[in-house]
Amino acid sequence: MRQKVETDSLEIFAGEMEKVQGALPKKIAANPENAEKGLAKLVLTLIELIRKLMEKQAMRRVEAGSLTDEEVERVGETLMKLENKMKELKEIFGLKNEELNLNLGPLGDLM
Amino acid sequence: MTLKLYAYGIIDSPQSIDEPLEGLYGAPVYNIPYGDIGVVVSDLDPQAQVKTEESILKHEEVVEKLMVRFTVLPMSLSTVFNGKEELLVKVKKFHEDFVKNLERVRSKSEFGVKILWAGNTIKERIINAHKKENPSPDPALSGTKFMREKFAKYKIDKEFEEEADRCIAILDGFLNRIASEKKIEKLKTDNLLLSAAYLVDHEKRDDFETAFEVLRNSQGGDLKYLLSGPWPPYNFITLSHSEDGKLGGLDLVETLLKHEITGNER
Repeated sequence: MRQKVETDSLEIFAGEMEKVQGALPKKIAANPENAEKGLAKLVLTLIELIRKLMEKQAMRRVEAGSLTDEEVERVGETLMKLENKMKELKEIFGLKNEELNLNLGPLGDLM
Repeated sequence: MTLKLYAYGIIDSPQSIDEPLEGLYGAPVYNIPYGDIGVVVSDLDPQAQVKTEESILKHEEVVEKLMVRFTVLPMSLSTVFNGKEELLVKVKKFHEDFVKNLERVRSKSEFGVKILWAGNTIKERIINAHKKENPSPDPALSGTKFMREKFAKYKIDKEFEEEADRCIAILDGFLNRIASEKKIEKLKTDNLLLSAAYLVDHEKRDDFETAFEVLRNSQGGDLKYLLSGPWPPYNFITLSHSEDGKLGGLDLVETLLKHEITGNER
């Protein structure tokens, strides 16, 4: 049984699939010099996951109209501060957004 | 040094494999029987790397060769056991699942379908429509302004996804008629509208390929299509204790497909 790929847009698919994670793991170079960065990456990924979940929940509540103007202001300020703090931390540890990605299965990617 | 066992798949036979097969690092492939089924393995040096491109290709090659004679539940890449005893404990635990899955995928193989759309252009159109509806941004920095901006993005993303859902319903509806089962992922990237796996009966392979052609020819130039396969049924194995079940997986197919595409480009 020989596999085949049938498409008239091979290059376009190849380019798009470069963005999709495959089965080979991204290498984690663990050594004394980058242990701190590795740990920061793990922690920040989890914080980012929680932050995004909070943000999505807040959007759903805004959409449903279940927040008062004061609550919108307060939640917005909290989320804004969290986002700014995350930016700061990413800069400190030299991490890019795509490095904090997580494949959430049927929910898609975190970033 | 105790050798480990690298597993390629579960087959519907406890018999030994007649044809000599070469596995990872040239080790001979053999079958470890358990009741009416078997686990196909090869010995592995404990220090050997298994998460390499060569290993993926060898894994796939072995599974494909097995599929000529047997029904196979392909294992996920780099499924390694510490010895026969550990392997048999797992097989005992999942035996019923394995038998059910072997029955489900018997005489079937998997086709991969990917469809690209002009996601970036569509998103741009939605963004522009939203800008027209809400033209004036708030002047002051505040929590409320932050929330309004986030909410606008949320609405744009939602609308984008709804448009994708409408498109996918039409495309999938056409192919799904021929398939026994399907696994669908939408918008893995903004442009990759649909990434799907269809389990197709061997007798219906031609029908599926024809349906794909009809679909491809019936659309304008807005969508780009890719069909791959037939593959072993990597994405259609379901286990009752999924935390332990390292079988199949879309990631493995993605990697194999990437290799196929890159190979074709050369």
